[in-house]
Amino acid sequence: MKEVLVIGSGIAGMACAVRCAEQGAHVTLVSPYPSERSQSVMAAGGINAVTEQCEDGDSVASHIEDTLKGGCWIGGKDAVTGLCSSAKDTLAYLESIGTVFSLDQEGRPLRRAFGGQSHKRTYFCGSSTGKQIVSALVMEVRRHEAAGSIERRLRMHFHSALIESGECYGALLYDEQARGLVPVYASAVVMAVGGQNALFSKTTGSVLCDGYAAGRLFLQGALLKNLEFIQFHPTTLETDQKRILITEAVRGEGGRLFYEDDGQRVYFMEDKYGPKGNLMTRDVVSREIYATGKNVFLDISFLSDRLISQRLQEVRDLCRKYRGIDVSKQPIPVAPSVHFFMGGLAVHLNHETNIERLYAVGECASMYHGANRLGGNSLLAALYGGRVAADDLCAREDAPRHPDFARTRAREQRLLDAASESKSVFPVAYMRDMLADTMRAHMGIARTEESLTQGLVDVEYYQSVAGQINYDTSVSAYENYSLAGILATAHASLSCALAQRESRGSHWRSDAPQTLDDYAYATLVSYNDGAYNVWLDKEREYES
Amino acid sequence: MKVRILRQESPTSEQYWESFEYDGPQDASVAGMLDHLNYSDDIVNDAGQKTRRIAWECSCLQGACGACAMVINGMPALACDTFLKDLEGNEVVLRPLTKFPVIRDLAVDRTSIHHNLKRCDVYIGAYQPLGNQSFSHQYDAAKCLKCGLCLEICPNYTNGNSFFGAVFANDCYLVYARNRQKSRDIKKVYAHHFGNTCSKSLTCMDVCPMDIPTIASMAKLNR
Ligand SMILES: Cc1cc2nc3c(=O)[nH]c(=O)nc-3n(C[C@H](O)[C@H](O)[C@H](O)COP(=O)(O)OP(=O)(O)OC[C@H]3O[C@@H](n4cnc5c(N)ncnc54)[C@H](O)[C@@H]3O)c2cc1C
Repeated sequence: MKEVLVIGSGIAGMACAVRCAEQGAHVTLVSPYPSERSQSVMAAGGINAVTEQCEDGDSVASHIEDTLKGGCWIGGKDAVTGLCSSAKDTLAYLESIGTVFSLDQEGRPLRRAFGGQSHKRTYFCGSSTGKQIVSALVMEVRRHEAAGSIERRLRMHFHSALIESGECYGALLYDEQARGLVPVYASAVVMAVGGQNALFSKTTGSVLCDGYAAGRLFLQGALLKNLEFIQFHPTTLETDQKRILITEAVRGEGGRLFYEDDGQRVYFMEDKYGPKGNLMTRDVVSREIYATGKNVFLDISFLSDRLISQRLQEVRDLCRKYRGIDVSKQPIPVAPSVHFFMGGLAVHLNHETNIERLYAVGECASMYHGANRLGGNSLLAALYGGRVAADDLCAREDAPRHPDFARTRAREQRLLDAASESKSVFPVAYMRDMLADTMRAHMGIARTEESLTQGLVDVEYYQSVAGQINYDTSVSAYENYSLAGILATAHASLSCALAQRESRGSHWRSDAPQTLDDYAYATLVSYNDGAYNVWLDKEREYES
Repeated sequence: MKVRILRQESPTSEQYWESFEYDGPQDASVAGMLDHLNYSDDIVNDAGQKTRRIAWECSCLQGACGACAMVINGMPALACDTFLKDLEGNEVVLRPLTKFPVIRDLAVDRTSIHHNLKRCDVYIGAYQPLGNQSFSHQYDAAKCLKCGLCLEICPNYTNGNSFFGAVFANDCYLVYARNRQKSRDIKKVYAHHFGNTCSKSLTCMDVCPMDIPTIASMAKLNR
């Protein structure tokens, strides 16, 4: 029987695990916490698909076209074609496992549009699409747990992959209960660990998505891709600890962006782009907000109370609860924030990385979205990618017997033990905060060579001292050992952004504002003995 | 502001109280306050002694994932969803949920919730919906975060050995509504582990961070 190890239990990880189990594999599904804690539960807006009941004039071809165009033509055509052509089946699958999509009064599925879409093709489940999908998948996983084909292991963190000669045989996991490293061998390992939020500290997403696994695998020889492409959501509300997403639906319902100049409101998006200016794509709105250099507000106070209650109640609640703002009377102070990572582990069409039998799916894999992701496409990609990886790994021949990794495990355990003997009270969180300050300052919406170079100098400094500092061991071992991987991901991201002397999608170089044909390829980055090498994937080896 | 926290270093060690002086923003949530205590400087208690950092769980920090459930001034609540300005008195008292084993400080092991659902085969299988089930209630039921607040407050729930609480009832409802082949069997399981014992205090609904009207699930399943 095939043994599969899936790391991460959000939508991508669960979709992959279930599909493997259905094909007779035995899956170990690992995550520190249950799926209800994954970032996937936060997705509210919906999932894209063109079905038989599509809007007049819509077609799979337009979904493909919109996705490639949104991604500024560096997403792979074959990959995107696969994603969009099977979106209908993905939706049907979700329905077959009990996901209930919202319907109109005649019983037809409702759809909405997100920025950058030529048609309304985003299906949704009330205002909690991500959570509704998670609930259905959790039930499916439970069904397979009962049958013995999926074994969930909680309170486990990824530590490193067991790799020899470019082939993956399993992973070392940190077991919180046993407080030690355990090897899990498998015919294939699937990473489904989400995005890289911790690089920036405050984002719209979950603090559990930290970019560690990508960084650690990178140091172990995996290629990363398109790391310079980070989506900033234009309208987020700042709180003490995070940035809360104010959904695009607010602008869809007529919400207006403005700043104040000499006591006068300036509706800068409408002034520049006309009456529909507030609904330009996320990258454009974010850049325009940034360019004002002012405090920007989103106003819906002129909408009727009824409309707000019916369609934007969650926004009303969030603003009241977290900032004491009454949206029917006051404008909402908004600012762009890091929201989604188009970059991540480089994968081929089958979702395998450059390391044999090591796969990546969901937001931790870089695929489909090119330089900019369209709203509603990432839930789709998480489900589709999970399925593609499962089908590929289940169809392949069994892995050769694994080499003996006992010495690797013992070495890594010794390193952890040595670190845990520290009596220091210096928290690793301080290093993470410094990194976040650097990333916000130098890897923000507008980038320049000078600023990115300074960012690299900072990160190299953190890397040079990080290994020599003793950290407070009263926090979890994972929090401490993950720092090196997080710093590596940050270093690789800055390197990609520095190498790309052009502007495309979410990567905006104010010192190189033009989009150049020479750069119309994915960016790859590898690590070799301290060197971070960046090049363009001109052969389209990853994502064709 | 004084903060008292019931602490425990490991699953097998003794619990003890430790107090802290909080001088951070007064409009913070309890989660914000914990971050402030942990990381604005070296952590010291109110006697000026250096101490361990306070362990607690978090993920979304906006009331959508259920990680940071704990008991705040006697009430089960999410730390990221509870604000200092709304608390009465001049003291904040935090303790871990009492109905689950403590892992460390305010972090508890809620595996029993998942274990009980698994051992009773509470899963949908093939989608064959019962007619006439309200979408809006299905959405509500599926919003359950498995945070454990409903179990903490429930007068009938003790350790999850036989009575499984509102969290169980709502998942049973989803199976009932979405697979008519299983609706009869799931009602039996529901009755055995919930319906027959629930004394209908309904306090579970008062503390649910998702405002799930569990009573609506009960109304369907008791029928
Ligand atoms: C506020 C918000 C709203 C959104 N709305 C939408 C939307 O409407 N439509 C849409 O398409 N997309 C949306 N997105 C994006 C979408 O939610 C994510 O891209 C998608 O859910 C990612 O799923 P995933 O399974 O890849 O990762 P996640 O759901 O993030 O899951 C990652 C898993 O990996 C685990 N993990 C992390 N690190 C480790 C480690 N070191 N070891 C072991 N396990 C680990 C985590 O605990 C978790 O279980 C939204 C995102 C946010 C933040």
